[in-house]
Amino acid sequence: MSELQNSGIFAPRVIEEIQAKAESGLYSIRGFGTLRERRWATFDDLTFLPCSLTRIPLEGYREKCSTKTVLGTRFAKKPIELDIPVMITGMSWGALSLNAKVSLAKGAAAAGSSNTTGDGGMLKAERENSRTLIYEVLPSRYGINIHDMRMADAIELTIGQGAKPGTGGLLLGSKVSDRIAQQRDLPIGVDQRSPARHPDFLGPDDMIIKVEELREATDWQVPIFIKLGASRVYDDVKLAAKAGADVIVVDGMEGGTGASPAIFQEHTGLPTLAAVCEARAALQDIGLYGEVQLIIAGGIRDGVDAAKAIALGADACYIGTASLIALNCNKPIYEEDYRAIGAAPHACHHCHTGRCPVGITTQDPELMKRLEVEQAAERVRNLLQVMTLEIQMLARSCGKSDVHHLEPEDMAALTIEASAICGIPLVGTRKVFGS
Amino acid sequence: MAEIDAMGRTTREINNAIRQLVAESCKEITVRNPGARHNLAVAVLEDVHIRVAGSAGYYCGGLIDRASIEIEGSAGWGLAESMLSGTVRVHGSAGSGAAAAIRGGTVVIHGDAAARLGVSMKGGTVIVAGNCGYMAGFMGQKGTVIVCGDAGEAFADSMYATVCYVGGKIGNLGTDAVVAPMEPGEAEQLEKTLNSYLPKSLRSSKPAAADFKKVVAGRKLWNFDKREWRIWQEAL
Amino acid sequence: MCGIVGYLDKTAAGDGNIGSVLLAMLNALACRGPDSAGVALFGDHPPHQFVAQVKLGDNGDDAGRAREIRVIAEKFGAHEFAQTGAYLRFVFGETDNLKPFITEIEAAGKDVEVVSVGRRLEIVKQVGSPTRLEQTFGISGFLGKHGIGQTRLSTESVVDLSHSQPFWGHGYPDLAIVHNGHITNYHQLRRRYEQTGIHFYTENDSEVVAIFLAGKLREGADLRAAMQSMITELDGSFSCLVATDSALGFVKDTFSFKPLVFAETDDFVAVATEEIAIRGAIQGDFTVREGQAKEVRVWQR
Repeated sequence: MSELQNSGIFAPRVIEEIQAKAESGLYSIRGFGTLRERRWATFDDLTFLPCSLTRIPLEGYREKCSTKTVLGTRFAKKPIELDIPVMITGMSWGALSLNAKVSLAKGAAAAGSSNTTGDGGMLKAERENSRTLIYEVLPSRYGINIHDMRMADAIELTIGQGAKPGTGGLLLGSKVSDRIAQQRDLPIGVDQRSPARHPDFLGPDDMIIKVEELREATDWQVPIFIKLGASRVYDDVKLAAKAGADVIVVDGMEGGTGASPAIFQEHTGLPTLAAVCEARAALQDIGLYGEVQLIIAGGIRDGVDAAKAIALGADACYIGTASLIALNCNKPIYEEDYRAIGAAPHACHHCHTGRCPVGITTQDPELMKRLEVEQAAERVRNLLQVMTLEIQMLARSCGKSDVHHLEPEDMAALTIEASAICGIPLVGTRKVFGS
Repeated sequence: MAEIDAMGRTTREINNAIRQLVAESCKEITVRNPGARHNLAVAVLEDVHIRVAGSAGYYCGGLIDRASIEIEGSAGWGLAESMLSGTVRVHGSAGSGAAAAIRGGTVVIHGDAAARLGVSMKGGTVIVAGNCGYMAGFMGQKGTVIVCGDAGEAFADSMYATVCYVGGKIGNLGTDAVVAPMEPGEAEQLEKTLNSYLPKSLRSSKPAAADFKKVVAGRKLWNFDKREWRIWQEAL
Repeated sequence: MCGIVGYLDKTAAGDGNIGSVLLAMLNALACRGPDSAGVALFGDHPPHQFVAQVKLGDNGDDAGRAREIRVIAEKFGAHEFAQTGAYLRFVFGETDNLKPFITEIEAAGKDVEVVSVGRRLEIVKQVGSPTRLEQTFGISGFLGKHGIGQTRLSTESVVDLSHSQPFWGHGYPDLAIVHNGHITNYHQLRRRYEQTGIHFYTENDSEVVAIFLAGKLREGADLRAAMQSMITELDGSFSCLVATDSALGFVKDTFSFKPLVFAETDDFVAVATEEIAIRGAIQGDFTVREGQAKEVRVWQR
């Protein structure tokens, strides 16, 4: 009996894509982030080595395992102090609905953590509902307002993000509602393209002066973060540190986005595992490891990913996609509305359409009503708290009374690639490969 | 009227001195010997007039609201960047990114501007009495760019709703930039603006407002689904 | 990424204090580049001879190396030897073909490098700040009428002596460059040059600018035309200063990605990444302006 056989190279999806391009003359834009099956080394290629004979584990509940996280100790007068090492990353109001932004703010605050503005400036409701609020300065400079900046607890100068390093943001016209257009000083209904570069500095040497400007603007009080999409991480982290960053954020390839060309999400940037290892090596090589804090982002799904990132050198993790999923992204409800946009629960990455069935990545007030703020905030709080518990459990099992004491040596690599990338021995061999 | 001598002092010290004077309700401040330092008069948020008796470096007048800054020499990159309101005037020339991302207020450059004049403007007005360089008005969203002299290449590239006027020659038009006729009354308005902000001696050597060319976005890049392939190929 | 400076004294009188002017300019820019500093100075020397600056290598035994190289150099008529830090300076007979000289000197050790040769040109560069450069070489005492310099924040290359700037147009007397920016078709160009037998001493993309210009000048192009062709043939970001025995010039890339300002009076030309460098070194009432995209300017002495 012969079976139908698909080509491995011209697979059904590839055939559809080629034919779609031939019909439309357009390249594909969508949301979410890389959809590729991950055949490269990820956090899943690492396993923890809990205590056995040589080290003593801590008991749960009774024996404390601290999760307090301080960021910005290098130069800022007022570093930010969080209860937990997991934070909400910047996502724009525009890409997200107002209810989504407020829910994230409230949920983060309830968990003792921070929220970040996003492309488009600060919302009043965001500042009101956030415990700690980080203010993003992006190449577009949409909504940048010095008065808002001075109300922030930290400034994040964003060079790029993991989903699409080297290019600017995109908000398709259907999501540029009256309010969004006003916030961003744009004509209504027009596609919003963000520039790839900042308007007033173009290299790390100019960036030094820009960082100083941001400090002058905020009286040298608050930490200055520099956020990088993971590309030439080793060099970029060194430069950002030399440029005077208090905190460096590295956002890996698995990071999310509201809308951008699919080719960027799939084929640019370094995976998050590789990015955190390069970032730590860079800081070590210039003697600033421990002085400049590192935040890692890009597809962090749970406390396990976060714990592994922390063990590899991160001081904290940002979550984006995971927090939206907590809000109801891809939840099996309103299923006909998923189908109406060509998606399905668990297979929806259609943020760019503005027709989010669960009211997260939409500006449609009717759809947004489906995201009830108090309940959504509670879900975000729950996720952050469970992630923190997961990190603590793993840390205790490795004999740590502080989650920040997790080290690479607490893990083993399950694959040769992970061993080479992380400088960690391969299970069963006691050997580090690739060194 | 107060004076600050910048000689031998850091930008931080100078800005602190400015803030101190502003807090004491000083309305006129002169900074002597600025030596083209960076970040002078950043984030001044009061109605005060600050005179920089010499050149400024990068981001002079950046992130200000309500203040008035006057630079007697030249300015570096990012003059008045992200200004909310107020006035920034430079007697000499300005570096690249002058009036970058400004949201309101007026920037007046008596000399020339380098590349990327008014890049990502979100409001306000920038006037250059001399010439401007490469890619002025790039991704301009709102507001007005006025160049009395010649404009460089890629003028008004990829704009949204910023309106540009050029008194001299245009090197070449940027992507999706078109020359458009002025509306009734527009030339008079432009004339009024030029007379308000340029000193007489400078204004008199520049063309009449009616002789300026108006440049706006052609709107072909405004929606991704439009199939103007050649435009996209050039733009992206 | 870094700060670059250049100065040309137009006055006829005096020997020129190019060393102290460039030092003052570099000090004003030092915050841009604490990793390395270097200058290319053009003095006045007796005719028909070349000045050479040779890097003695990284093996730690500078005195021993200096002795070895001296023996080799004397075959080319070298005299007036002076060793300062990791450099050996000497004078030898002008020649049309530097290849044998370079080959033999550099054969003394893997890390020996002829850093510069010219009738007037002397390049000194090292790890550390402009202050440290002055402490080692006393450049403020150097007499000459024009020169360029650079102070650098390390990016992708290793921070060591050879990887600092200025770069000599290796093999072409009196040609020196400093570059702020990043040449994005560097690897491609390098591979093509290497195919023709040209040797690269560093992994620093700025080096290809020097090689490129040396190539154009050898083909007969004048300096302005050679710098003009950089705009179309080199990709990426650059503001470059170029100096020869009798000229100083600058060129900016197509997109005006990197800052470069200049001032010209009857007495001098000064060029720098930031105005703060010019004001920090030269008093007086003059205007400074930024170069435009694709602008090339050359001043002859």
